[in-house]
Amino acid sequence: MRRDLTCAAFGVALACAYYAAAAALPRSLLADDVGADGVPKLLAMLLALLSIAIGVRGALRGAGDGGIALRRHARAFGVAALGAAYLAAVPLLGFAPALALLLLAAMLYYGAALRPPALLYALVGAAILWLIFAQGLGLAVPAGIFG
Amino acid sequence: MSELAHAWHALSSGSVIGAAFAGVAWGIVGGALPGISPSIAMALLLPFTFGMDAVPAIVMLASVYIGAEYGGSIPAILIRTPGTNAAAATVIDGFEMHRQGRGGEALGISLVSGFVGGLFGLAVLVLATAPLARFALAFTPPAYFALGVLGMSVIAGLSGDSLLKGLFAAVLGFMIATIGTDPVSGVARFTFDSPDLLGGVRPIVVMVGLFAVTELMAQSIEPAWPKMQARAARLRLPGWSTWKRLFRPQAIGAVVGTFEGVTPGAGGTIAAFLSYNEARRWSAHPGEFGKGSVEGVAAPECANNTVTGAALVPLLGLGIPGSNSAAILLGGLLLHGLAPGPMLFEKSPEAVYGLFAGMLVANVAMLALGLVILTPCLWLVNRPKPYLMAFILALVMSGIFALQGSLFDVALVLGAGVLGYTLRCFGVPTLPLVLGVVLGFMVESNYRRSLVLSGGEHAIFWQEPIALTLLLLAAAIVGLSLWREWRRARPS
Repeated sequence: MRRDLTCAAFGVALACAYYAAAAALPRSLLADDVGADGVPKLLAMLLALLSIAIGVRGALRGAGDGGIALRRHARAFGVAALGAAYLAAVPLLGFAPALALLLLAAMLYYGAALRPPALLYALVGAAILWLIFAQGLGLAVPAGIFG
Repeated sequence: MSELAHAWHALSSGSVIGAAFAGVAWGIVGGALPGISPSIAMALLLPFTFGMDAVPAIVMLASVYIGAEYGGSIPAILIRTPGTNAAAATVIDGFEMHRQGRGGEALGISLVSGFVGGLFGLAVLVLATAPLARFALAFTPPAYFALGVLGMSVIAGLSGDSLLKGLFAAVLGFMIATIGTDPVSGVARFTFDSPDLLGGVRPIVVMVGLFAVTELMAQSIEPAWPKMQARAARLRLPGWSTWKRLFRPQAIGAVVGTFEGVTPGAGGTIAAFLSYNEARRWSAHPGEFGKGSVEGVAAPECANNTVTGAALVPLLGLGIPGSNSAAILLGGLLLHGLAPGPMLFEKSPEAVYGLFAGMLVANVAMLALGLVILTPCLWLVNRPKPYLMAFILALVMSGIFALQGSLFDVALVLGAGVLGYTLRCFGVPTLPLVLGVVLGFMVESNYRRSLVLSGGEHAIFWQEPIALTLLLLAAAIVGLSLWREWRRARPS
């Protein structure tokens, strides 16, 4: 039940925010009858209705779905946090060093021990990806402070 | 004849053959990695196709799909862990055969049955897509609107155990599709003054986030998969006496795979289990099923490889991707400036027939590579999981950056991954969301174009016969799904 109710609350909150953003859209002189905000407003209402239905159904079913194991899932969100840290580090450190750090951090996060093979793997892995993307595909990668 | 000329031209360039072999090789390895589905394997390869010509790029992606369906059966047979969802049915008899010391025979049956299914699916694709596309050429804006609605209703109705949550996901995807410049008035919608969002959120970015990043997040809380013994895996092709027994289950797998493949949302997993069940029902030795039956391996493997071809029928003919893998292929087509749907046959026949020829090569490549790739594949899959996952994460981050040289895309991918994982926690299926993102623009622009044509009259949608038929079909599917859900929820 908690899982469905949380889903419903998430959906209703999103629908409200989206509706408010749609209502704030400027009206164009080129607009048709529906307008730029017409479909978004309809979608927001649909999402709200579906969310309420999911919540009501969850409440009627009672303690059926067992809720969400927050602590367990928090670990999964750590992977996205690693990606966000990489995103912040790339402009500063440059493409290859940031990738090496990401590789090392991710290995440790997935359970590897901090040992020379892991360090070597991070360096070699980053070098391979740099070779593929910066040299092979000719991508203009951020140089960072070392560039 | 011009179709054959296009196909021959694609094959004679050599790059298509190379792309097919490379795609199949990566597909087998990716499919053998538990957690890396065919769609994720395809998504990881996508950035590398960016600099390639369109035809080899699309062939490579389709070949990954073909290879991954066989690759998924390797861990299913050897360690009772399906590499892909569609290989789950193979576990039942494949692992039992392995326990009896017949793992090599099971792998051989999986390979040849996959080859038979792949060829059958390709034949269905070649024969069915062009007529479907010709029919779709008669579509007007109301019909396109109705087609988009039908596509979303089919997926929402068939995905997961909850119609409500399927529709919830489809609406969410549609909402993402509205980000960017309004198709009619040119007003910037939900861009928050960011120039990066003016062009909208590209479907491929959402797909990579939803499939790859979400899975990487999920894998961080999953235990490591067991190691596979390379010595126990010596692939053995079936002899004539076994072949005779395989004919019937393969035929069942091909028919079921075709039906499930062309039905958007059904996919390889349902096809594999359904064909396993039917093969047991029609078998002369039903008692062997579950105890190491060769038929129990052949039917699901043939079915899930038939799906690889059949699932592309609605994609190429109508522009509706019926599965995650087809959605990634759609992203690949769009990336190379090819819009799937009826006009694809008119504007870029060389891409369509080049793809058909490439898929033929890919099926042959699967048979050839399947015989030799097993040992290196097992070596790679047996590397420590943290090393593999870290490399895949780094590959996703750099690959998405490579698409446009934009860190904003990397942020979007992470956001899509977080959204995908959150939805997974809520038990919301993600395929309808992808469909919403892909079809949202088509639905909205054709809805509004229709109303402009009719002077604001909604009657245009039921005065146009094709649109009316498609909308009635969509309503029937939603109604049927609601009825099913009501029956399921009713206390027995």
